[in-house]
Amino acid sequence: MSFVLARLGQTVLVLLVAAFVSFSLFRYVGDPVNNMVGQSASLADREAMRTALGLDDAFVVQFTRFVGNALAGDFGISYRFGQPVATLIGERFPATLELALISMLIATGLGVPLGVWTALHRDHWLSQMLLAASLIGVALPTFLIGIALILFFSVWLGWLPSFGRGEVVRLGWWSTGLLSASGLRALVLPSVTLGVFQLALIMRLARAEMLEVMRTDFIRFARARGLRPRAIQYRHALRNTLVPVVTMIGLQFGNVFAFSIIVETVFQWPGLGLLVIQAIQFADVPLLAAYLVLIALCFAVINLAVDLAYVAIDPRVRAGGGVRRAT
Amino acid sequence: MSLPGLGLAEMRRSVGGWWDSDLAYRFRRSPVAILAALVGLALLVAALGAPVLAPYDAFDPAAANAADARLPPGSAGMFGDPYLLGTDPQGRDMLSAMLYGLRTSLVVGLASVAAAAVAGVLLGLVAGYFGGVLDAVIMRAADVQLSFPAILIALLIDGVTRTAMPRELHQELAVPILIAAIAASFWVQYARTVRGLVLVERSREYVLAAKVTGVSTWRILASHILPNVLGPVLVIATINLALAILTESTLSFLGVGLPPTQPSLGSLVRIGNEFVFSGDWWISVLPGLLLVLLSLSVNIFGDWLRDALNPKLAS
Amino acid sequence: MTALLSVQGLRVEIAARHRVLTAIDDVSFDIAEGEILGVVGESGAGKSVTGTAVLGLLERPAYQAGGRIIFAGRRIDTLDEDAMRTLRSRQIAAVFQDPLTSLDPLMTIGDQLVETMQTHLDLARAAALARAEQLLAEVGIPAPRERLQSYPHEMSGGMRQRVVLALAFCCEPRLIIADEPTTALDVSIQAQILDLLRRMCRERGTAVMLVTHDMGVIAEASDRVAVMYAGRLVEIGPTRDLIAAAAHPYTRGLMASIPDMHRRAAELTQIPGSMPRPDAPVPGCAFHPRCPQALARCATDRPAMLPQGASQVACWLVDAASRSAA
Repeated sequence: MSFVLARLGQTVLVLLVAAFVSFSLFRYVGDPVNNMVGQSASLADREAMRTALGLDDAFVVQFTRFVGNALAGDFGISYRFGQPVATLIGERFPATLELALISMLIATGLGVPLGVWTALHRDHWLSQMLLAASLIGVALPTFLIGIALILFFSVWLGWLPSFGRGEVVRLGWWSTGLLSASGLRALVLPSVTLGVFQLALIMRLARAEMLEVMRTDFIRFARARGLRPRAIQYRHALRNTLVPVVTMIGLQFGNVFAFSIIVETVFQWPGLGLLVIQAIQFADVPLLAAYLVLIALCFAVINLAVDLAYVAIDPRVRAGGGVRRAT
Repeated sequence: MSLPGLGLAEMRRSVGGWWDSDLAYRFRRSPVAILAALVGLALLVAALGAPVLAPYDAFDPAAANAADARLPPGSAGMFGDPYLLGTDPQGRDMLSAMLYGLRTSLVVGLASVAAAAVAGVLLGLVAGYFGGVLDAVIMRAADVQLSFPAILIALLIDGVTRTAMPRELHQELAVPILIAAIAASFWVQYARTVRGLVLVERSREYVLAAKVTGVSTWRILASHILPNVLGPVLVIATINLALAILTESTLSFLGVGLPPTQPSLGSLVRIGNEFVFSGDWWISVLPGLLLVLLSLSVNIFGDWLRDALNPKLAS
Repeated sequence: MTALLSVQGLRVEIAARHRVLTAIDDVSFDIAEGEILGVVGESGAGKSVTGTAVLGLLERPAYQAGGRIIFAGRRIDTLDEDAMRTLRSRQIAAVFQDPLTSLDPLMTIGDQLVETMQTHLDLARAAALARAEQLLAEVGIPAPRERLQSYPHEMSGGMRQRVVLALAFCCEPRLIIADEPTTALDVSIQAQILDLLRRMCRERGTAVMLVTHDMGVIAEASDRVAVMYAGRLVEIGPTRDLIAAAAHPYTRGLMASIPDMHRRAAELTQIPGSMPRPDAPVPGCAFHPRCPQALARCATDRPAMLPQGASQVACWLVDAASRSAA
């Protein structure tokens, strides 16, 4: 359990650093008062605003207040959109999460089986082809994959939409594109674009891990026990391969979030990524600050979830040994 | 910082050592590696020779003719100028723009890899050699950073400086800022690897002997330990070069990297992106293909180098 | 009496980058029903490779290049993989060196036992579990019923090697290939495990090919000894005879390393020099560069295995001696 506690401590540290950077941005970049009341306000108005905002308080007080507000989901008003940042993020979040989930589903669903297959059939020509393809998949920039897919499937063939989410269905505050035909069609190209790199990466990792496990003593001993090849490959080798692969996939989920910025730009996907690019281009400090905290939180949650999953899968960690295989 | 007697002779000897070992033999036997190296070399020459090789000056507005905008590859312009690869929306020759873009991409990529390697190696040396609190702080920071994707870190660093600086100043400093942002997101791997190697080397007899005879710490680091970590660093640097180039072009494509006045391959793709829908594919596809060629050749060569130099690094 | 296992002229080669190396060169021996044959030699002498070949588990780049392996009157080296697989555990079982890495870390030991039995025997899960518990008790694991639920990492090295023994015996094989079964264990536990192996074999009439580099283990446990050097067999005979009067100079050197009551000597350090590696083979008798009594012909001609009392030995000295006696 000390293992989990150490990870928790690290998580809190990361969040505090993110909050600090975010707060510094908020407080010291430009003049918050100027940004809020405009250039025409009188000096008295400005002073009143300063006091109302608590900008004259001590640093620690201000930072604590910032963290408190952040915990309550209050990041102020976006300069560019004139709406509360929390509302903007709440609107955009479902689009990004759905995109990330679907592409990760594609990448994992294909990547793990392909990696295992290529490891078990090393000399098969298809295996060699897949390996070469995965090298290309890792080397291709995501935005080019998106543009190529748009060119083929939208511009030349006219099969699939190239921008937007299509028709969304509202479920409470959540808006989903998974329940309408146009929403699903709109998801195809972006999620494939986002998934290609992860697919190649997961496949290569699964293959490497599987090959490594197949060389271990306990696999040799399993063969000496006369177990059937299928039992050796799937019950023993695959299960042991999955431990590090699951860890990797969990951590990759964070990368998918980051890469969704690119995909959302290419496909004009109305998610968080598009929002943050706009925030950067227009120096929208409150939005950027909120995004920083949010992304740190996302990564913290993912890392924690991966650690817990690890504890659940591997009896060695469960026992408190804290054996952690490096990936 | 002064590094007395940098141990250049040792460094050269160890570099020459790999070359004489079966590295050269393996290279000759691997057509894929040869091809990747040749393509990479050709691209490097093309990039460095851009001012000479490019038919037009990509930065000279006078060389662009608005009437010749968006001509497909192989067209001739209004005044009969040949455009081998077509023109962009400003009537700029694509081939010239791509050569200059390639140069920018390579320069930013190489510079950021060099900066990351120097910073990472130094931090790794310090962490590994001195240990203690310094080591703990550096490696904890590395751990934390490693859990975030490099591109996000580069994007956020660039974004934060952009919001923190006046627009004109940021435009002026765009290239160094971008290099610093990419370097800051890639130093961890060097630091970790070097630290690990230093921990091994530190306890070797020749290092202990040097210590006992009173050789200064920096001299030990520079002449005994540094040469031994150069091999792995070279491998990481090659693989990171492809990543750094992709990161730069991605940021430029997103419109947060280099300003339009300094086109890289990524910003060229960005310019062409909106014309993809009208069927003018070459404006973004051609620089994109060049980028893929560059990325693939560096990646494949790096992959080969890693396997050839040290199979254990494969993870 | 016909042998349970008969290895005849076994040759194993390894395909290296530019050439073919010989790992095992013309090795022949028999193991009788219920007999414990110790196979001894320095590391790299080809003991483990021989055991692996008998199990049919040679892996690329190693392969069997010649000879025959006959088990219970049936040639097994030419069997296809599936037929060979059904022999493993059921007829020929294995015990490997390192109990820490022999067991699947993600599966309970109960499941690993049940899985092995259900692969080879027609047993329902409940019956297999009951048998697994009984086996764990027999190999000396306390609270066997609870232990079925344990994962390997929850047990000590000695306990794990007991589990490996239970796995080896669970399908009542006729032969066990035990490859350095005690080497990775603490000295205090080595004797217990060796004793357990010997007792279980005697009770069941199971034959063992006991591969080890430890002459002490051989002296304690084996009926006969086969001595290997540089991929070849140099001497084979009853343990007692070899200890009392080995014919081959190399065997004599080995015997000098057997620990007695007062000291536990470092193994095999008495003979100066080192064994030739497969990539630098030596002509004639492979031992001649280290042999204190080498003759001129030892460097050029390879000695054949010839009977010498109850033993067989490959040495020109012995050949010369028997000729002059005749």
